[in-house]
Amino acid sequence: MSTTEPKGIAGHGAFFQPTNLAPEDAERATAWVRKHVDRRQLDLGERMDDVRDHMWELERDGEIIVHRISDDHQPVVVKTLFGWDKRIPTAQLWHHKSCGQCGNIPGYPTSLLWTMNELGMVPGKDYLDETDQTSCTAWNYHGSGIGNVESLAAVFLRNFHQAYVSGAKLGHRPGHFFPLVHCATSFGNYKEIRKYLIERPELRERVKKILGKLGRLVDGKLVIPEEVVHYSEWVHVMRNAIASKLQKIDVSKLRVTVHMACHYNKMVHEDAIYDPEVLGGHRAATGTGVAQALGAQVIDYSTWYDCCGFGFRHIISEREFTRSFTIDRKIKVAREEANADLMLGIDTGCVTTMDKNQWIGRAHAQQYSVPIMADIQFAALACGADPFKIVQLQWHSSPCEEVVEKMGLSWAESKQRFEEYLQAVKAGRIEYLYDPRLADSMSRAA
Amino acid sequence: MATYAEMREIYEDITRDFRYEHELNGCLNCGICTATCPSAHFYDYSPREIVQLLWTENVEQVYDAMQEKIWACAQCMTCAARCPFKNSPGGLVAIMREVAIKHGMQSAKDVLRPFGRVMLKLITTGNQLSPDMIQPDHFPDWGPNIQKVEGDLKTLRKAIPVKTLQTTDTAWETSLKTSVEMYTIWEDTGVLRQLETMDENLFDVIQDFIEEKREEYDEWLEERQAAKAD
Repeated sequence: MSTTEPKGIAGHGAFFQPTNLAPEDAERATAWVRKHVDRRQLDLGERMDDVRDHMWELERDGEIIVHRISDDHQPVVVKTLFGWDKRIPTAQLWHHKSCGQCGNIPGYPTSLLWTMNELGMVPGKDYLDETDQTSCTAWNYHGSGIGNVESLAAVFLRNFHQAYVSGAKLGHRPGHFFPLVHCATSFGNYKEIRKYLIERPELRERVKKILGKLGRLVDGKLVIPEEVVHYSEWVHVMRNAIASKLQKIDVSKLRVTVHMACHYNKMVHEDAIYDPEVLGGHRAATGTGVAQALGAQVIDYSTWYDCCGFGFRHIISEREFTRSFTIDRKIKVAREEANADLMLGIDTGCVTTMDKNQWIGRAHAQQYSVPIMADIQFAALACGADPFKIVQLQWHSSPCEEVVEKMGLSWAESKQRFEEYLQAVKAGRIEYLYDPRLADSMSRAA
Repeated sequence: MATYAEMREIYEDITRDFRYEHELNGCLNCGICTATCPSAHFYDYSPREIVQLLWTENVEQVYDAMQEKIWACAQCMTCAARCPFKNSPGGLVAIMREVAIKHGMQSAKDVLRPFGRVMLKLITTGNQLSPDMIQPDHFPDWGPNIQKVEGDLKTLRKAIPVKTLQTTDTAWETSLKTSVEMYTIWEDTGVLRQLETMDENLFDVIQDFIEEKREEYDEWLEERQAAKAD
């Protein structure tokens, strides 16, 4: 510990002095800040240029290969925070799974695959889910500090190289499958790392050696994706198709709140989708857009912008912070202020945090509860997916049965059907969303 | 207790990180970052303070903040999204944590001890968490309703209609080749060195595991070659 007495140079701690400004002076003093906090008014400046422009330059200079979104990926153009265009591929997708979703909320990816199947997408052609992929490792990095830009970059490039070449065994050209990132932390992390890779030649040099050793270069070059795309963006651009082609259940009586994942709209925030038709374009659009398209009542609330309290490290080893924050700032507000029937998330940690940390509120007489699930789980339910077999709500702790009942489905009957299905599973009669042989990348690896 | 020279070295390690100039551009003490910070609600932690300490080159108090405060940050990056100067206090904290680990600071060792299980899983499998880690016994505060259908984990996982998810000890099935590739990444980027600094026992366990998996992969390759030759 330092032996130096704090001198309050930084103007913090016990040495902080209030300014005692008159209200009108305080207003004047902070006007500049308020103006600049509205990002859409921001002077873009040289630090806020579009990193994709430099990416194309690097490709022209023969430094990298850009995994392009072609017409075959059937892209839909959306607008991001500053009005920039972003192309969201809607077909030929490589599912880049989330460790938290797959480990803890498996109904998240199953609902997504089910929806794709229902829209007529063909496994092995229009999407691929395979075993040759790892976590982005960013949950660990944000939680523990173990890892570094180089390791995160190597993991990013290894996974995305695999996405680029993954179609070969199935007879597809390189780049056939474009990565669709399921986790918002992976999404934020990958965008940050892509920016560093594009801006820093020395970083590219260092990771290139590693990727070369792994046989993960194409023509001696790193493969960088044209866009980093989050699954909620796919859901967002497909929302009207989902509602018009698949929806079977009227959800107009449901009051829905949305929790936006921090690592979706606060990391490399210039890349998040904003839409004037969703919350007036004031807030990131994914999650909310699909709830609106399905006809639910989207209810705004005062702590919309707050994080959920996940904290990466905290949810494991300092859970009192996680549960206190999520109850105080999310669950209680959704319950009391919005009278929500449901809270939707678009990420892994948020759904886990808000879903699991409600019961403990009783310890402090804070008995607030709101069903928590992902946007795509809600969409799948509205489109007739089975609450257990497909949406896998049995893994949720929050009272999801309440929403299921409000949608006119019988929780008890669904549960009974599922328990019967478990007997079939034990007997080896398992139903799949795609041919399991497609997942085996080991045979393709050799 | 660290000497001033040691504290200076730590401070300079922070500023040498190439991200430093991205993350710190100036500060007018507006406090937007702290007002919007979830950790500031519950800890003696202020992102504005972190920025100010670095901005004013307050070497000793930077060192003090690395004892505990930097570990309070939830890494949500709300501060970064809000800052009118485009600072990222959360990004600065990430750099400071890395430097704390590099210098083997006791604070980092204390804070990260409960994180060992995740580290082990991540380094050895490339997955950060698995269904068997999220069992009611480990999370009594999640309540009695942690899952709504009774049954053994293996069967419940088999009932997920996606082949890659029918696992219990990893979040999804990861191919052996993938894990082996990850070991090279950990070695070549200094991550294993970081681990050794933090927890030698965990490092030893991981080293043994890696060796075993590499042998397993080599055997698999040999079998494949032999099968092809036949």
